[in-house]
Amino acid sequence: MKQHKKGLAVCLAAAVLLLIAALMAGSPGPSESVQEAMRDAVLHGTGQISLFGLMTVNPGMISALLVTAFLLLCAALIRVFAIPRFQYQPGKLQLVLEELVGLFDGMAKGNSPHRNRFLGAYLFAAGSYIFVGTLSELLGLQAVTIHGHPITLPAPLSDVNAAIAMGTLSYLVILSGGVASNGLGGVGKTLKEFSLPISMSFRLFGALLSGLLVTELVYYYVALSFVLPVVVGVLFTLLHALIQTYVLTMLTALYYGEVSEPSPKKEKKKKLQAKNA
Amino acid sequence: MPLNINLQQILLHWMNLAILTGGLYFLLYKPVKDFMDKRTAHYQELEEQAADKLAQAELLESQAKAKLEAADDEIHDERMRAQQAASDAAQEQLAQAEEQARRIIAKAQAEAEQSKERALRESQREMRDLAAKAAKKLAAKPGADFFDQFLDLTEGGKPHEGR
Repeated sequence: MKQHKKGLAVCLAAAVLLLIAALMAGSPGPSESVQEAMRDAVLHGTGQISLFGLMTVNPGMISALLVTAFLLLCAALIRVFAIPRFQYQPGKLQLVLEELVGLFDGMAKGNSPHRNRFLGAYLFAAGSYIFVGTLSELLGLQAVTIHGHPITLPAPLSDVNAAIAMGTLSYLVILSGGVASNGLGGVGKTLKEFSLPISMSFRLFGALLSGLLVTELVYYYVALSFVLPVVVGVLFTLLHALIQTYVLTMLTALYYGEVSEPSPKKEKKKKLQAKNA
Repeated sequence: MPLNINLQQILLHWMNLAILTGGLYFLLYKPVKDFMDKRTAHYQELEEQAADKLAQAELLESQAKAKLEAADDEIHDERMRAQQAASDAAQEQLAQAEEQARRIIAKAQAEAEQSKERALRESQREMRDLAAKAAKKLAAKPGADFFDQFLDLTEGGKPHEGR
């Protein structure tokens, strides 16, 4: 108990000393105005990064590739080392994995009872990507822009291109479900929801961007850089990672289920065929 | 384009997402789901086996119950037969006893009848003897009333009260 108290006192003393040192050291002053910083965070006009020397991309693209690499590496390690040791009475890791797979599989089956095999896999991938991608901004990984400036890699979906790709791909998945179940009728059903790709894309982009902007604002002023980032940076990020994952996967599953539902005419035909048989 | 939208980057993101979806499906989603399905099938099989065994046990139980009921019926029949046999034996014994009693009574009656006749015969003989004796004595004592003498003799030689 005494040791804990001593450790706490040392930590507090170090924090106070560092705060005083930071305040006394002063700041060279912002190199860019808050407007410029926020415009750059949204448009990435100046913060472009070279992708293997082939082309320049937004930092979100690099984040997306890193998140994908990380997820695939984790998946490969789990596939090689954990899955062969799975038992009927699961351990902790197995339980977490089964819960995750069961969650998205259940979501797919619950919202689209007629056709859900591919949907479950897509929801699992999309959910993992959004959740891990959003949390990746907490790591504050650094990259160098083409102009030689250091830049903190943002969440992939705070890049409008990533959000549009995610929204439109989800829309295409929904469309594929409609086509697979109802043919051209499914296309018609899906196209009725023409605003869906835009709303999905910009919902993701808006949600992630708002988090990014709030974080940018908080870090823009030195005085706000103490204590507050613990709440803003960690809790809000965690919260909207969960919320955005849930929203996009749920919307995709709902619309997929709606368009892949067999039309009454087809069902009648099937019943007649069954009767004849 | 507005908002720095870039078709090339969107396509790159698509490719990235397609790789991620495929990779996660084959590396994680499918194996885990297959394992879960396998476990579900295993437990379903166990459940079916348990149900089969339960059905067999119920069948055996019903068969055993039927056997027990048959045994009960058999026992009941046997008991009834035994009771009937015991009752018949008792009736027979009773009839025999009655017959025996009747024979004993008849024999006793016959013997009593014989005793009576014998006693009567003996008493008659005695009376005849007495009468003969009395007559002899009367004949030996002249002048006495015959009747009084006879009575005195019959009363053991004591004089008759009527005198």
